[in-house]
Amino acid sequence: IKMAGDSRFPDVDTDGSEKSEELEIVVNVGGVRQVFYGDNLIQYPGTRLAELVNCLSGGYDSIFSLCDDYDPGKREFYFDRDPDAFKCIIDVYYFGEIHMKKGICPICFKNEMEFWKVDLKFLDDCCKAHLSEKKEELEEIARRVQLILDDLGVDASESRWKRCQKCIWKFLEKPESSCPARVIAVLSFVFILISSVVMCVGTIPDLQVVDAEGNRMEHPTLDSIETACIGWFTMEYVLRLISSPNKLHFALSFMNIVDVLAILPFYVSLTLTHLGAKLMELSNVQQAVQALRIMRIARIFKLARHSSGLQTLTYALKRSFKELGLLLMYLAVGIFVFSALGYTMEQSHPETLFKSIPQSFWWAIITMTTVGYGDIYPKTTLGKLNAAISFLCGVIAIALPIHPIINNFVRYYNKQRVLETAAKHELELMELNSAEGKATGSRSELEDLSREGKEGPFYSSRIKVSHSDTFIHLLSEEKHYRTRLQSCK
Amino acid sequence: MPLGMNKHGSRSTTSLPPDPTEIVRSKACSRRVKLNVGGLAHEVLWRTLDRLPRTRLGKLRDCNTHDSLMEICDDYNLEENEYFFDRHPGAFTSILNFYRTGKLHMMEEMCALSFSQELDYWGVDEIYLESCCQARYHQKKEQMNEELKREAETLREREGEEFDNTCCAEKRKKLWDLLEKPNSSVAAKILAIISIMFIVLSTIALSLNTLPELQGVDEFGQTTDNPQLAHVEAVCIAWFTMEYLLRFLSSPKKWKFFKGPLNAIDLLAILPYYVTIFLTESNKSVLQFQNVRRVVQIFRIMRILRILKLARHSTGLQSLGFTLRRSYNELGLLILFLAMGIMIFSSLVFFAEKDEDDTKFKSIPASFWWATITMTTVGYGDIYPKTLLGKIVGGLCCIAGVLVIALPIPIIVNNFSEFYKEQKRQEKAIKRREALERAKRNGSIVSMNMKDAFARSIELMDIVVEKNGESIAKKDKVQDNHLSPSKWKWTKRTLSETSSSKSFETKEQGSPEKARSSSSPQHLNVQQLEDMYNKMAKTQSQPNLNTKESSQSGKQKEELEMETLPGPMVPLLATRTDGIIDMRSMSSIDSFISCAAEFPDSGRFSHSPLTALPCKGGINVIQEQSRPEGSSARYVEMNPTSESSRRSAFFIESPKSSIKASNPLKLRSLKVNFMEEDTSTLVPASNVLRTYPDPLKSRGAAAAATDTSLLSDRSLMSPETSIYTTASARTPPKSPEPQAAIAFNFHDAGIHKYIDADTDDEGQLMYDSSPPGNVSPKYSVANSGYLKQKDHVYRTEKNHLEAAALPTSPKLIGQNCIYSMEGITGRTQGNQETVRLENHISPEVHVLPGSGGHANTHDQSI
Repeated sequence: IKMAGDSRFPDVDTDGSEKSEELEIVVNVGGVRQVFYGDNLIQYPGTRLAELVNCLSGGYDSIFSLCDDYDPGKREFYFDRDPDAFKCIIDVYYFGEIHMKKGICPICFKNEMEFWKVDLKFLDDCCKAHLSEKKEELEEIARRVQLILDDLGVDASESRWKRCQKCIWKFLEKPESSCPARVIAVLSFVFILISSVVMCVGTIPDLQVVDAEGNRMEHPTLDSIETACIGWFTMEYVLRLISSPNKLHFALSFMNIVDVLAILPFYVSLTLTHLGAKLMELSNVQQAVQALRIMRIARIFKLARHSSGLQTLTYALKRSFKELGLLLMYLAVGIFVFSALGYTMEQSHPETLFKSIPQSFWWAIITMTTVGYGDIYPKTTLGKLNAAISFLCGVIAIALPIHPIINNFVRYYNKQRVLETAAKHELELMELNSAEGKATGSRSELEDLSREGKEGPFYSSRIKVSHSDTFIHLLSEEKHYRTRLQSCK
Repeated sequence: MPLGMNKHGSRSTTSLPPDPTEIVRSKACSRRVKLNVGGLAHEVLWRTLDRLPRTRLGKLRDCNTHDSLMEICDDYNLEENEYFFDRHPGAFTSILNFYRTGKLHMMEEMCALSFSQELDYWGVDEIYLESCCQARYHQKKEQMNEELKREAETLREREGEEFDNTCCAEKRKKLWDLLEKPNSSVAAKILAIISIMFIVLSTIALSLNTLPELQGVDEFGQTTDNPQLAHVEAVCIAWFTMEYLLRFLSSPKKWKFFKGPLNAIDLLAILPYYVTIFLTESNKSVLQFQNVRRVVQIFRIMRILRILKLARHSTGLQSLGFTLRRSYNELGLLILFLAMGIMIFSSLVFFAEKDEDDTKFKSIPASFWWATITMTTVGYGDIYPKTLLGKIVGGLCCIAGVLVIALPIPIIVNNFSEFYKEQKRQEKAIKRREALERAKRNGSIVSMNMKDAFARSIELMDIVVEKNGESIAKKDKVQDNHLSPSKWKWTKRTLSETSSSKSFETKEQGSPEKARSSSSPQHLNVQQLEDMYNKMAKTQSQPNLNTKESSQSGKQKEELEMETLPGPMVPLLATRTDGIIDMRSMSSIDSFISCAAEFPDSGRFSHSPLTALPCKGGINVIQEQSRPEGSSARYVEMNPTSESSRRSAFFIESPKSSIKASNPLKLRSLKVNFMEEDTSTLVPASNVLRTYPDPLKSRGAAAAATDTSLLSDRSLMSPETSIYTTASARTPPKSPEPQAAIAFNFHDAGIHKYIDADTDDEGQLMYDSSPPGNVSPKYSVANSGYLKQKDHVYRTEKNHLEAAALPTSPKLIGQNCIYSMEGITGRTQGNQETVRLENHISPEVHVLPGSGGHANTHDQSI
């Protein structure tokens, strides 16, 4: 094929290559021409360009399997790819490492590298971090998309029991899926609140009743409310457990452990009061029951299920474990130092409040966190000076490690929102692609191309969406995207 | 005559578009296509473009007529199989990659807004953007949209203040300005200060009133207000009431005024006083005095609200309010955290402390107080744990409190600082706008940031329209693609009309005022658009263009100006440095000074209509030269010069403005051009002429070489060139003055200068690797000769040219046709190559009609 458009290129390169010993290869990538020496390219045999050198002796078929166009007159290979990324990638033949051009999306660059069959290991570490960060983000999005898809996908092949199970699961776990599910979520939230309030109110002495043995008992009405709440929690938990697709995973997840902790004390104390009398003394039983009451606090954590903010907090705390340790360490060091100092300095005062070093720990904590109850305070001048310094050090010791924690929190908080929209967007994109695949056969090429890049869950999910029955239903749900699509075409 | 010449420059008027079969043939002969976007060349398979058939590039293949092609691209060259788009090249790389890989990624440094505009232009939906880039894109876009929405709102607010339909509108407007806009006048400022003083005074009086020493005792033994303070209070309330009423009366929209949060606060500050008076007066004898008193007490507390009146006078307070409104999510989070912490720690401490004797932690609700005070690290010390367990819980509570409170606050702070910054920015923008207005009134400013203003106002238009109606929004979105070829044509047309029909404009002038009176949203929309256009006009400077027209055609003209002018601004700097470098390499500094001094003369001479055309020719030469080279680097290098020369052409063609202008920018640009010209003329042109053919011959492009040699012979043979060469030979290379004299002697010396400038620059850059495309200068030299002579020699020469060029290389004809010779001589040979190649001029054509219009009027005036 002789290209008219290329006639203006001087034929220097090909002339040179014929005369000289070295094999020269002219590569035209998206309009940018580059000349290589065969020796140079063969250094990395797996790469596309090296393959090109090897198959030069082969026929046109082998050449055309590697590149998009070939001009035999000028021996120019044409690739329909991004020239910018190519310019970076060819660095591997000269320097043995690749640096990403600033501004190119790392994922895009990765795909280009895959096209040129250059191994990712040649990418320098400084750029790799960027890539892995993006990759992580994508994986997170993929996970979310997978979750959404799992919810949407209803396989007709499954048994009725399984479908029913899925239905319940959706009903309880996905409040946004339907209206009744939302009602359930609100109801559950209300029950948590009621039970927490009951727990608090039950401790007010005025509302307690005295039983036959002179012990203070909770008011019977509060008790019945409590029972009702526990009944609700138990039912909820059992239903969830039954309907969950992965029982072990479910049982070990944090939120469900909290659920168990919220329910268990009630049943344990119930069994103890009924059976424990036979096993041990009554006073012991009562003490155990009392201890179990504290466990009721766990139900407050159940609120976290309904608040993304709390989940973010737990995530941030989990992520910044090191910083939290640092904070505690700083505080501990400060407490030790200042309580000891405070104790020694206050020794001179006859009516000192610092009786011992462990006792003055309390004072140190309260001072360093700037709470200052005033139950213990220094009386000597030196002690006061020490208090002032400890207060200053406390402010600094708390402020320094808190910053990374806050950073983690803010970043995760913002990322959460971004990822949510990204997941939605990804879904739309998938629909779009599959819709196009259905609508026009001619565009299947692009379809394939776009699929090719996504690996793992993405690949399967894409296929799944394009073939699943819920797909049309999904489309009708999101009309806005359709209009956008139309406006595009 | 000059009018005719200028018109020949634009292909649409005279030359014939290429035959559809030609286009089809050109497309069929290659698998690939070259796309030139903003000077950056890309090569891509047609197959790739077909993947998205409904986008702009996808449609490109199906377009087989000249008109439909021009709808899609800004220019094309069938011989080169090249299509030109006058768009940002950076964004295009990503978009082209979308065709190649099916993945739309976005350059990281790219502004999301401009990227979305590019996407709109290329017809690619943003939904295709990959997830990794999508987050960033949407975040930025949302942020931008929010900002613009806010700006549009303030704009609309200002628009809304129309006092037209009721009585004494003038006075009411004045009153409104006086009360609502403290920056509008000194009196308004004083009024604002007085108002603030009254607010402060009344709050002080309110708090002093509760001091037992100052309170009196009434007949029932109850404490009453101090009589003096009561008077102060009454005066303050009177002032507030008056203020409120005046505001209310003067407000253009009563209901909106009533609903406004600041006005609601005002009302709340006044009302309690009147309610108290009413209640005490009406119930004096009634038995339930105690109840009334309680109610009165509540109303007294409400008087505190007047401190919020200060918000009217402080942006800080307003932004605080806004922040709280916007970050209620985070505030909710903070409260939730605190509530959970309080719950947990109070119950823990209760269980730890409840067995202690004389404990204050009597129940969980009772220990809530302790938990709150501890978590917020206030620590009154009225309740504190005493057992060891309690103390441990207390310590944990302190740390948890510090953490929990600190976490959501940065998000709120972020919101606040963003809003505050925005507020400040807006204030500054208003000030700048006012300054611009003032400067415009003085007529001393050139539109430096016109591009900004234009883009901004386009955005504003978008948003304003979006709000007003969907259907209009769509229309406007089309308009947003303001560079689309069809629009270009349109503006071109209107421009050529406006230049000759000033009377029409003046007739139209009255109409917009009428349109303003109606209040339907559509019309409001029109008003806003108009306002925006006016704002653009404010930033504009061309005195001869920018009459105060507000008619439709006038606006079109402005728009064209807007788009053409900002372009050369950036390259200007680059060319200047280029010029200086050239200077150093070529000649001494004093020549530079002298040529800088010469420029007014040339300005005078540029009145001549002939120079206008040659300048155009010069530009074209540059463009044509740069094209065949094919390398992007060359493009980049060449573009600035072509731009600057384009600009210089513009200026030369409107010499009045350039001479009159007190603007340094213009002067500089002229200087730049002259620097280039002079440096180039310093080299004997004959040299240039002679050196070119040699490398070409050696290159071995046989056909082209013979052509060029032939042609160069011809050109040397032509008497005109001989004169020219002798002229340049005559001039000693180191003295610019005589050269300038030559330039003034021959009117079209400008051509030579330009051509020389081009050839010279090129020659220097490319002596070793000059492609066949460099033949062009010779042509231009020859052609300029013809221009002047217009005798039989020209005709024969032309024939030679054709004979030489037609069979082998169409490019050469391309050079030829730039000058649109066929337009001058009335040649109608139907040479299709020339016609098509002429399309390359079109980027200039966009510019030149505007300047052509200038030239027009000048000529008429002369």
